Amino acid sequence: MVAAASGCNKFLDETPRDRLPVDQAYGNLDELYLNAVASLYSCVGGNKDSYGLQGTRRGIYDLNTFTTDEAMIPTRGTDWYDGGLWQGLYTHSWGTGSSAVSGTWTYLFQTILRCNKSIEDITAYQQQKQVDVSYYLAEVKALRAMFYFYAMDLYGRVPIIKRSEPEWEDLLLKNRSEVFNFIRSELQEAIPNLSESYSNRPGAYYSRMTMPVAFFLLAKLALNAEVYTWDNWTSEPRPDGKNIIWKIDGKSMNTWEATVYYCDLLADMGYALEPDYQTNFQVENEQSYENIFTIPMDKWLYTNQFTNLFRSRHYNHATALGLNGENGSCATLEALDAFGYGTDRQDPRFDISYYAGEVYDYDGYPVLLDDGTPLVYEPRKIALDLSGSPYEKTAGARMRKYDVDRTATKDGNQSNNDIVLFRYADVLLMKAEALLRDSGPNDVSLALVNQVRRRVDADERTSLSLDDILQERLLELAWEGWRRNDMIRFDTFCNLRSFCPVTSLEADHHTIVFPMPGEFLAITGDKQNYGY
Amino acid sequence: MTAATAVTAHAQVEVHADTISQSQMNREQLSNPLDAINGRVAGVTITKSDNGVAAMNAVRVRGTTSLTGGNDPLIIIDGVMGDLTTLAAVYPADIENFTILKDASETAQYGSRGASGVIRITTKKGKGKRTTISYNGSVGFITPYKNLNMLDANGYRREVVARDLMLIDMGANTDWQRAIQRIGFQHDHHVAFTGGGDNNGYRVSIAYLNHDGVTLHEKMINFTSNLSMYQRMFGDLLNIDIGMFGNVKKDKTAIYDMQKTFYSAATFNPTFPATGDINTGYSGFTYANQINHPLALMDSRTTDKTTHISTHAKLTFTFSPKWKLIAFGSYSHNEVERSQYLPTSIWAGGQALRSSEKTETLLGNISVKFDTKAGKSTFNVMAMAEAQREKLSGFKTTTTNFTADELGFYNIQAGALSLWEGTASYYEDPSQLSFLANCTWDYDGRYSITATARADGSSRFGNGNKWGLFPSLSGAWTLSKEAWLRDFKWLDNLKLRVGAGISGNQGGVSNYTTLNLLAPGGIVPVGQDLKVALISPRNVNPDLKWEIKRQVNFGIDAAFFGNRIIASLDFYTSKTVDMLYNYPVPVPPFTYPTLLANLGSMRNSGTELALGFTPLKTRDIELNINANITFQRNKLLSLSGDYHGLHVTAPDYVAIAGLNGAGFHGGNNNIVYQIVGQPLGVFYLPHADGLRPTDKGYAYNLVDLDGDQIINTDDGKDRYIAGQAVPKTLLGSNISLRFKQWDIAIQVNGAFGHKIFNGTSLSYMNMNSLPGYNVLAKAPERNIVDQAVSDYWLERGDYVNIDYITIGWNVPLKRDKVVRSLRVALTVNNIATITSYSGLTPMINSSNVNSTLGVDDKRTYPLARTCSLSVNLVF
Repeated sequence: MVAAASGCNKFLDETPRDRLPVDQAYGNLDELYLNAVASLYSCVGGNKDSYGLQGTRRGIYDLNTFTTDEAMIPTRGTDWYDGGLWQGLYTHSWGTGSSAVSGTWTYLFQTILRCNKSIEDITAYQQQKQVDVSYYLAEVKALRAMFYFYAMDLYGRVPIIKRSEPEWEDLLLKNRSEVFNFIRSELQEAIPNLSESYSNRPGAYYSRMTMPVAFFLLAKLALNAEVYTWDNWTSEPRPDGKNIIWKIDGKSMNTWEATVYYCDLLADMGYALEPDYQTNFQVENEQSYENIFTIPMDKWLYTNQFTNLFRSRHYNHATALGLNGENGSCATLEALDAFGYGTDRQDPRFDISYYAGEVYDYDGYPVLLDDGTPLVYEPRKIALDLSGSPYEKTAGARMRKYDVDRTATKDGNQSNNDIVLFRYADVLLMKAEALLRDSGPNDVSLALVNQVRRRVDADERTSLSLDDILQERLLELAWEGWRRNDMIRFDTFCNLRSFCPVTSLEADHHTIVFPMPGEFLAITGDKQNYGY
Repeated sequence: MTAATAVTAHAQVEVHADTISQSQMNREQLSNPLDAINGRVAGVTITKSDNGVAAMNAVRVRGTTSLTGGNDPLIIIDGVMGDLTTLAAVYPADIENFTILKDASETAQYGSRGASGVIRITTKKGKGKRTTISYNGSVGFITPYKNLNMLDANGYRREVVARDLMLIDMGANTDWQRAIQRIGFQHDHHVAFTGGGDNNGYRVSIAYLNHDGVTLHEKMINFTSNLSMYQRMFGDLLNIDIGMFGNVKKDKTAIYDMQKTFYSAATFNPTFPATGDINTGYSGFTYANQINHPLALMDSRTTDKTTHISTHAKLTFTFSPKWKLIAFGSYSHNEVERSQYLPTSIWAGGQALRSSEKTETLLGNISVKFDTKAGKSTFNVMAMAEAQREKLSGFKTTTTNFTADELGFYNIQAGALSLWEGTASYYEDPSQLSFLANCTWDYDGRYSITATARADGSSRFGNGNKWGLFPSLSGAWTLSKEAWLRDFKWLDNLKLRVGAGISGNQGGVSNYTTLNLLAPGGIVPVGQDLKVALISPRNVNPDLKWEIKRQVNFGIDAAFFGNRIIASLDFYTSKTVDMLYNYPVPVPPFTYPTLLANLGSMRNSGTELALGFTPLKTRDIELNINANITFQRNKLLSLSGDYHGLHVTAPDYVAIAGLNGAGFHGGNNNIVYQIVGQPLGVFYLPHADGLRPTDKGYAYNLVDLDGDQIINTDDGKDRYIAGQAVPKTLLGSNISLRFKQWDIAIQVNGAFGHKIFNGTSLSYMNMNSLPGYNVLAKAPERNIVDQAVSDYWLERGDYVNIDYITIGWNVPLKRDKVVRSLRVALTVNNIATITSYSGLTPMINSSNVNSTLGVDDKRTYPLARTCSLSVNLVF
C-alpha cells in the first residue's frame, strides 16, 4: 500500500528539462556573475511599455519629458489621442489611474526586488563557498541604488526594501529624505569595491555599474538634494542646500560642494567633451570619452528598443530613410524660443537635435508627401490637439540628435546607437550650477558653461544666472530625459506653459511627484502623495 | 449487440444526460462535429470565433466558471480524451451520437477534466454480417453578402476637399472590402464501409473536405479516416474493440492579423486602384500607419498543418453476468506545424516563421464492474484506476531581413537575421492519476441513487496539494411508474432528478508553476562575450491547489400524449471557490505584477428548458418543433484572499477588453471589465448624453457622473456599469416538417439580454480619421470629430439568427435494387439575422472571457452565406 502510494507520487513528480532549478544556477563564479549580476542589466533597457530607463514607451523617459516645456506629443487626428494620455501628461492632469505612472512604479520595484534576490544569492554563495565576492555585492547594491534614485525622483516617498520577499513592515513608506540618505550611503559604501572602468566602452565592464556611474549618480543626488530632502513639498519651504551636509573622506561639505566634488572626480577619471558633439550619438558611439552610462544597443543581439526617434519622424520621412515612423513627438513652443529658433541667434544645437522645415533623404532629395509636395515640418504650428489643422501631420520640430542607423531592425525601433543616459557635458553643467548656487556668480561657472557652448560654436555667454543654466541645460540635453528633474529643481515645473489651461490645481506643487499605485498603498494603509 | 455500442467504462453512471442521436442532429452543411449539435442542447453555447473556414468554435457548457482556463468542455471520442481541436479528426457523418454531460454528478466520473462539461462522441461501428457502403457528398458555394458601407471614392474626395485636407487621388474607385473577398467553392466527400461476421464487425471510413474561404487565398483541406472493429473470443468471455481515427488538416490564409486586415480593407483610401503584386509592389499611402494596402496584406501566408492520430483498444472480460473487467488504453499524437511569411511590403524586412507543437498523450484505465439484482433492487458497482502522461514539445524559428519575397517560408535561410526571441523550444511532460468508485442502486425502476467518489492527482500542483477528492451524489424518482400515476394514460414519463457534486479544475495552471525555475531571459554582454542570463520570470506560488466547483442540479423530465410532447427542465447553481486566477498583485511586495493563486470565488446559476412537440404525425406527414431555452446568470463574488499573511486584493476594476487602432493606444480605452459583485464581463463606461457641438464638428458629451465638476474617465471616476457582455438568455430551435419523401428543416438560434460595444462605429464615424482612414458613408452628415470612449456606441446585442434551411428528398427506390437509399438535399445557411444592432453582425464573441469579449472592434469577418447541394447514398 505504501509502495503503491509512493509509486503514485513518483508518477506525479515534475522533472523539468527545459528550465533549470534555482539551486543549480550558481555552480561557479561565472554562473554567479551571469545569473545573479549580469541578468539584472537586462532591466536597464527594455522592449515593453514602461520597462526600461529609456527607449521604451510610457515609462520613465516619457514621464520626465512629455510633462515639461521640452517636448510634447500633440494629438494628430486619430493618431496620438490614445485615450487622452499624451495631453494628460503635458497638462499635468495624469490622474491616479494612469497605466504609464503605475507601470513605471511596477518596473522600478520589480527591478529592485530582483536586485535584492541577487544580493541574497550572492551572500549565500559567499557563505557557502567561502570566497570573497564583495565586488559583485557592491555592483548590485549600487545598481539597486540607481533604481531607487529614479523611484525617489518620480514618486517622492517610497519604501526601502532590502529583501526579495518583503514583510509588511518593509512596505511602509519612508520620508523622501530618508530614501535620499539611503541611496547616498549605499552608493558611497559600494564605491571602493566598484571597478574604475568606463562603462560605456566595450570590454569587461561594458554597460555595467562602475565607479564613474556611481559618481555621476552621487553628483545628481547632491545637486537635487534640496528637492530630495524636502519631506513636505506641498506645505513647507524647501531646505537650503548649504545646510545639507555631506561627509566624504572624513571631510564635511555642503551639498553644492559635494556636487562639485563628484563632478571633479569624473574629470579626474579622464572624461572630456568630445570635440564633435555628434560623436556621442552616432551609430557606433561606444568609443565616446564623454558618455558615462549607456543602454547597450545591438540590433542583432539585444531586445532593447529605442522608440524615441522612431515615434517622432513623419511617416514619409522615416520611409525615405528606409524605416517606419509614427509621426508623434516634437519640440514645444518654449523649447523653440529657448533655442532661438528662426532668429539670427539660433543655437547651433537646434539643427543637431531637431528636424525643422524641409528634410532630405540619404541622397539629398527632399522628402515628399504622398501628394508629391515636399514635407515641411512647421515647428510653430503645433497645438495640444492638431486634429483638422492643415498642419495636423507636419507641425512640430522633430527629434534628430541620434544618427540614423540605416540597417535598424524592428521598423527602426532597434538601432546600434547606444542610448545615452549619463554624459560628461551634464557633469560640467552640474558643476557650474552647484558653484553658482553655492557662491553666486563666478568665473568658473561661466567658463564651464562656455566650454560646453564653445564645443558647438555657440556664442559665449558673458554672464551667467540660474535661469541661464536652466536654458543651457535644455539646449545641451534636449531629448535626454532630464527636463522634469531640472524644472523641479529650478521650481518652474508647475508654471504655466503654452496650451495648458489656466488652473490653480498645481499651486501646491503636488505634481512634482507622481501618485503611487492604490493597490500598493492599500497593503499598509499608507496615504497617497498629497494632492492626489 | 452490446459490444459495438458500449463506449467506455463510464457508460453506466449517467442518471440523466442529453444524448443526441443522429435523427436529432443538424444534418447537412457540416464541416465540424459541433455543427451537428449547434442550437440543439440547452445550456450549451457554441459560437464560431469568426466566419473563416478555419474558425474554431468556442464552446461553453453552462457558462464560464473559471477565470483562468479549463472552461472548454472535455471532448471524448470513443473513449479517447481530447480537446476542441481533436474534433477535426472526426467527420460528422461518422458520428453515431453525442452525449452532453453538464451536471456535476454526471461529469464527476471524469473528474477534473470534465469539470466544464463533457461532450462525448460515439462513432458508428460495424453491425455484424450486414455489409454496406455509403457515400456522402456535397458541393457548394460560399458568398460574402454584407460589408460595411464606407464612403466610396467620390464621397471620400468630396469630404477630404471640403475639409481642406490633403487629398491623394489616384483616380480609381475601389471597394477594398470586396477587393479582398471572393466567392468560394467547397466540396466534401465521405465513403464508409461496414461489414463483418458472426463474432466480429468492422467499419472503415475516409473523408475529404475542401473549403474555400471568402477572403482571398483562404482554404481548408481536411482528410479524415476512421477505422473500428470488434472481435468476440472464447464465447462471450472476451470482446475486443480496436479503433483508430486521424486526420491531416491544412488551413491556409492570408490573414495574419484579423483586425489589421479588416481595418485596412474598410478604411484604405478608396481612390487607389486595386493593382499591384508582390513583385512590383504597391503604391503606398503612408498617412495611415495602423493599416496597410489591403492587397499587400493578402500576400502574407499562414499555413497550419495539423496531424492527428489516435488509436485505442478496449478489452472487455465478461466473467459472469455479474462480473466484468474492462481495460482501455489509448495513444494520441497531435502536431501543429505552422509556416508563416509576412512579406517586405507589410513588415519591414519581411518575417518568416516555422514552428511545430507536438502533443502525445498516453492514457490507460482499468475498471471492474459488478452488477447484481436482489428482489426489485439492482446494484451496479464500479471501481476504476486511470493514469495519463502527456509529452508536450515544440520549437520555433523566426528569421527576418529578407531582400526578396520569393522564397517565403519555404526557405527561411533567405532571411539574414535570426531573432534571439524568435527562436525557442520547450518540453513538458505532465501526468495525472485518478481513482474512481461508483455505485448505483435502483429500485424497481422507480428510485435510483448514484454515488461517485473520485480522487485526482496532478503533477501540476506542489507536494501536498497534488490530490483532490471529488465526490458526487444524485438521485432520481420516476413518478410515472408509481401505481398512483399509472391511470393517467396521457402521461408517458414523469421523472424528478436531483444531483450534487464537487469537481476540480486545473485548467489555468501551466506545468512547473509551483517550482522556482530559471529560464533564458535575454542576452547580456559578459566581458567580450555574449551570454544568455537565466531569470525566474514570474512569481512562484508553491501552494497552488485545485480550483473547486460545487454544483447542485434539480431536474424534471416529462412526456405526454404518446411522447408527442416532451419537456425537460433543469435548475442549477454552482459556486467556484479557491478560484485560480492570475491576480493582479502590487509590486512590491511581489516581484512581478501577477500571481496565479487560489483566492476568489464566483457563482453561476441557470435554468434550462428543452421542449419537443410533435403536433402532427401520420404516415405521410410529420411536424416536429424542438426548442431549448437557457437562462444563465453569473456573479463574481470575490477576487481577494490571504496569501502568506498578506491580504491580496485585485484592483476594483480589472479591464478585460479594450480598443485597438489609430489613437487607441493606452489611455482610457478599456471597455469590458471584471468587477467584483458583477457578472463576468461588464461594460464599465463613461456616460455620453448625446453630442455637443465644437468648433470643428460634434463631440460626445460626457457626463460628470461623480459630481466633482471635472470630467475624468479614469476607473473609479466618471464611469458606470452599463450592461453585461454575456447573453442572459439563449435560444435554440428547430422546426422540421416531413411530407412523404420530402422534408424541410429550419434552425433558429438567438441570444438576448446582453450588449455590444460598437468600437467599429466609434472609429469609423470619427471624421478626424480623414484623410488617412476612410469613414462610414453616414459619418459626414453626423460630423463627429471625437473618439473618446463612452456608452454612446453601446448597443443592445439581442438577435435571432436563422441558421439554416434544408430541403431534402429521400428518393423512393425499389427494394431489390443495389442502392438501398438515396437522399438529396439543398441547404442554405446564415439566412438572416434579426437584430437592432447597427454593426455588421451581433454574432461576435459573447462567451469567451478574453480581449475581444463584447467588443466589435474593426475585426468582424465578412458575413457569408453558403449554398450547398448534398447527396447521401447507401449501397
